[in-house]
Amino acid sequence: MSTLKVGVVGCGNIFKLAHSKALKKLENVEVTACMDVIPERAEEGAELFNARAFTSFDEFLDTDIDVVEVLTPTFTHPELAIKALKAGRHVIVEKPLALNTEDGEKMIREAERRGLMLLVGHVRRFDKRWVTMKNLMMKRNFVPTWMKKSEVQRLPFPADYWYWDESKSGGVALDLGVHVVDHVRWFLNAEPLSVTAHGLSIREEAKVNNTYDHFVMMIEFDGGKTGVVEVSWAYPYPSRYGVFYHHVDVFGRNGRIRYVPMDTPMVGVVKGDFEVPRFSPLLSTYPEAFVEELRHFFACIEGLEEPRVTAHDALIAVEIVEKAVKSARTGRTERW
Amino acid sequence: MERVKFGIVSYAHPHVMRYAPAIAKNEKTELVAIASEDVNRDLAIADAKKYGAKFYCDYSELLQDGDVDAVYIASESFKHFELAVEAMENGKHVLLEKPIAMNTRDASELIRIASREGVKLMVPFNPRFTQPLKKAYEMIRDGEIGKLVYVTAISENVKPPIYIRGFNAEWFLDPAKSGGGGFMDTAPHGIDSLLWLVGEPRRIYADIGAKVYGLPVDDIGTAMIEFNDGIVALLTAGWGNPKGYPWGLEVKYHLVGENGFLDVRTAYPDFEVYGEGAERVYWERPDVDSIVQGFAEAVLEDHPVPISPNLALKNLEIVLTAYESSRKKEWVNL
Repeated sequence: MSTLKVGVVGCGNIFKLAHSKALKKLENVEVTACMDVIPERAEEGAELFNARAFTSFDEFLDTDIDVVEVLTPTFTHPELAIKALKAGRHVIVEKPLALNTEDGEKMIREAERRGLMLLVGHVRRFDKRWVTMKNLMMKRNFVPTWMKKSEVQRLPFPADYWYWDESKSGGVALDLGVHVVDHVRWFLNAEPLSVTAHGLSIREEAKVNNTYDHFVMMIEFDGGKTGVVEVSWAYPYPSRYGVFYHHVDVFGRNGRIRYVPMDTPMVGVVKGDFEVPRFSPLLSTYPEAFVEELRHFFACIEGLEEPRVTAHDALIAVEIVEKAVKSARTGRTERW
Repeated sequence: MERVKFGIVSYAHPHVMRYAPAIAKNEKTELVAIASEDVNRDLAIADAKKYGAKFYCDYSELLQDGDVDAVYIASESFKHFELAVEAMENGKHVLLEKPIAMNTRDASELIRIASREGVKLMVPFNPRFTQPLKKAYEMIRDGEIGKLVYVTAISENVKPPIYIRGFNAEWFLDPAKSGGGGFMDTAPHGIDSLLWLVGEPRRIYADIGAKVYGLPVDDIGTAMIEFNDGIVALLTAGWGNPKGYPWGLEVKYHLVGENGFLDVRTAYPDFEVYGEGAERVYWERPDVDSIVQGFAEAVLEDHPVPISPNLALKNLEIVLTAYESSRKKEWVNL
């Protein structure tokens, strides 16, 4: 097998916490270029892989790379991904695919036109908890018909961080929302017919940024199936309660599957106060999920595997959220 | 009158299996008569024997019994209206299973008749009588989590009552008799607790259907309820639990405030027992005892019942609006 040369754009949080560690574990992949608009970050990233550092995207693209990993804030995804595709590179982009479906569609069209892979980091599909559940449902002929998934946290960033700026991140509805609606659609194995949503601005950070920090969606899927989605950056958990993040409840023909945060492998620590240390650098998933995701994506690029989650799946996730936000703003149900 | 002399009308609703012993043992009440015309008559006769109560094969005979001060009506929902009317017109105080009636017109009529006849009318809703929710109510009232902004509630997830062993609950599957399935059966408890904890609802979006068991009535429902002052509640209720799930009630709340949140993991104090299957054993049901006692005290001391029948009317209106929303697949204003 040949070695894929990978260039990374955006050497911030998700790179440091997840992708850099996963990339280190993979064979047949070599990170040869790291780009960031902040020179120190580009240098730091490059140092990890003995790669070249760039602050210019054009110069970065000029190097001999096969794959571009786009790990930048969401609003920059379309421009960077399309440029990379136009330069003939396969693209792996963090979720959300884009801020809206219009941009997402452009990205997909560009990839299709050029016969290149565009893969989106829907890492829930590679988390061993959810993969085990999905396999178990299939093995036991458990047909899920109602699912509620919550991902709730207290976003630890200040009000001027880009996450709080809806024009950059899409807010909690999109940023966590795409994960959860994709998870629900994946489990229910159905397509959306309508969505009815409600948004709240609870924290001061959300109010000053005029964005939602707590968002609820009820999604009607075909086959009479129902998805209930809750995402929050406002849940008043102290962030040291690292495992209180996912809640899954699936009802269906032949059973029910329930996962509560306390089921996460945890050690409760009592020292005058009670805390539950995180099980990984990220609140949301295990480091192994990123390793498996990237291993799979590179195998897809090599033509050895078929994508388990496609750019089209990622686009539908964006579309559901887009309609949901519209529903929350207008107070009406949005339909397909 | 030192104690309220109670009659039980009908053994159609499984709650009777909790109310009969609660009425029999409460210091303010006495179980003097039981009537069953059809469904589960064998259980009714056995209970009459056990508690030393008179047994009637005819509801009207019990309702005309001068020894009876008050009745607990546990009939099929579609009989609530006529039985409650007859009871009240015979001067009986009425503890009536939910829903209060099949429609809001009948419900309003019952409230008018109770007032006209000078009798107490109450429809019991349980969670507000449990210790954890009482505590949560106090903490919210005292501002311990700041302004309440969001609630997610499971109230309640159970199994379809048709699987209760030795109890005939088939009528639940006939919408003409029950008015609806799992959501109609279980959501009123959650709705009552939300009316109590949160306030006045403004509009509702619900999704209710036969999604789990394929029964002729719905078995799981979800309602998003928007309240005045912008509080939102997400309520799940129904019969969606699989047969292997332990018997008992799954009742949970997350009450999210601006400065903290309350995690009510179960409203009912229990432990689990595993054997051939799994079951949940409650070491106390303060709710049923409190309902019986609160109702009896209202009768004895002539003060208002713990839950006004107007709340039962509003509860029914909300449940029916949820069904309407689910049919229309859009928000419906209350």
